[in-house]
Amino acid sequence: MDDQAKILKFLVSAEKLADEILSDKREIVLLDKRRNQNREALRDLTKAQQKKCWVTVGSVLVKHNFESTKALLEADQKQLNMDINTLRSNLKVKINSLRDLEMQAPTPGLTLVPLSNKETEALSKSGIL
Amino acid sequence: MTSLAAAQVQEVRSITRIERIGAHSHIRGLGLDDALEPRAVSQGMVGQKMARKAAGVILQMIREGKIAGRAVLLAGQPGTGKTAIAMGLAQALGPDTPFTSMAGSEIYSLEMSKTEALTQAIRKSIGIRIKEESEIIEGEVVEVVVERAAGGGGARTGRLTLKTTDMETNYDMGTKMIDSLLKEKVQAGDVITIDKATGKINKLGRSFARARDYDATGQQARFVQCPEGELQKRKEVVHTVTLHEVDVINSRTHGFLALFSGDTGEIKSEIREQINSKVAEWREEGKAEMIPGVLFVDEAHMLDIECFSFLNRALESESAPVVIMATNRGITRIRGTNYKSPHGIPLDLLDRMIIVPTAPYSSQELKEILNIRCEEEDCQMSNDALTVLTRVATETSLRYAIQLITTASLVAKRRKATEVSMEDVKKVYSLFLDEHRSEQFLKEYQDEFMFNDGAGDGPQSMEVSQ
Repeated sequence: MDDQAKILKFLVSAEKLADEILSDKREIVLLDKRRNQNREALRDLTKAQQKKCWVTVGSVLVKHNFESTKALLEADQKQLNMDINTLRSNLKVKINSLRDLEMQAPTPGLTLVPLSNKETEALSKSGIL
Repeated sequence: MTSLAAAQVQEVRSITRIERIGAHSHIRGLGLDDALEPRAVSQGMVGQKMARKAAGVILQMIREGKIAGRAVLLAGQPGTGKTAIAMGLAQALGPDTPFTSMAGSEIYSLEMSKTEALTQAIRKSIGIRIKEESEIIEGEVVEVVVERAAGGGGARTGRLTLKTTDMETNYDMGTKMIDSLLKEKVQAGDVITIDKATGKINKLGRSFARARDYDATGQQARFVQCPEGELQKRKEVVHTVTLHEVDVINSRTHGFLALFSGDTGEIKSEIREQINSKVAEWREEGKAEMIPGVLFVDEAHMLDIECFSFLNRALESESAPVVIMATNRGITRIRGTNYKSPHGIPLDLLDRMIIVPTAPYSSQELKEILNIRCEEEDCQMSNDALTVLTRVATETSLRYAIQLITTASLVAKRRKATEVSMEDVKKVYSLFLDEHRSEQFLKEYQDEFMFNDGAGDGPQSMEVSQ
């Protein structure tokens, strides 16, 4: 009985973590979708001639001031970038703890700090990477 | 005519695919279970349980990074599986851990000093793990629109539509991006990546969904799945490079081409010091991880006293690899001196070593090994032929018996039999002499050979010269 409870507890924790990982990945996709839509919108705004523009909020169309729309979108973009980055870095920790639960060694090099652009360039130019 | 040409092309291909079967190509690991207990027959390993268990313990220590700077000596008679264990250890460590294998006598034939050769071998066995990160846009091209300004020439603008299975989006592009898109001949249906930092475009292939667009495709057409998930991805690639590779690239007189030609020459110690300090800096910043690998020195008794004292010192260094040596010598002269020592290795170095003995195989184990080799060499052997071969192996040597497998299978093929029978083995046994019978023959007929001194008192005990 005690064993069963133990196994159940283990399974629950592993499944929970795995589920979180999957939903995080989904979340990143959705955020990136919004990021791309915002980017398209910002691009279109620069081409626009009018002083005001149409903005959809949910299912409602609102005519909004050009400048403040741009500011809104830019703020949203900034927030999205931050969210995606935090999700990505949290994913690494979660993946390693899931692997730990499954008695697997952590993925090699997952937590390494990436080389700077200059270093990468130098190394790939010399043919190492 | 075309079919003939096609058949010829096929033939050429099948020839290049033939791989040579090495003496230890059947080894896939140490054949241990999770509790490091050796299984009787597993991963190409047979018998030698104590040595394999010892190797398993060493393997665990290497994985945990606890053993760096120590040495292991595999000692045993010829043909008792020393090289097999070292190979198994290398396989079990996985592709990420650097494993360098060299023969002790190799250091004498290179165009560099002995210590330089050893230093290079040591640095080949230390890996560093580094990570490259880039933001890329990856997707299938839906549409490329290029608008030329009226009157030709001048600035061009364009629009690129990319999609993944989850989303689709437009990118406005300037002249430079259009030029590189045109240069790469990107068209709708291609799967491409764009590096965000450099703007470099890379064509991965054509989407499967577009596989039926044309009736005929070129040979180099590669079909890939439409990418999933987000368009703007973060790509992280972890590389493992050895310190030696970094050394060679930074030694300016040679450049990285030396890596491929093998003509690395001597590398200045200042360069090594610079690289060491750079790697130390990276480790401090969390940019690099050290992977102490394994340096395997076969026939270690061929090293001389200078090499031994150099190794003694090199093992002390902070990031030394695990040095595994193998020798089949007993108490013999240390090369370069007149002193005798066990295994031909000086006592002070021997003191630092973990010594793993290998014992001769039993006849049951020999049979198992021969069976595995038969499988490896694609050779069907009847049961009594295998029994005879095992007998040969016990009476002569395992290596000789293994050589008979291939020859016997060729004889069997000659008489169009699918299976190697006892007669085939007997035939090759009479065709090819083993070491003992060859010696017998020489003794009987020595008067008829040239430069015979008439002594005929058996082989001299092997001595290595200075």
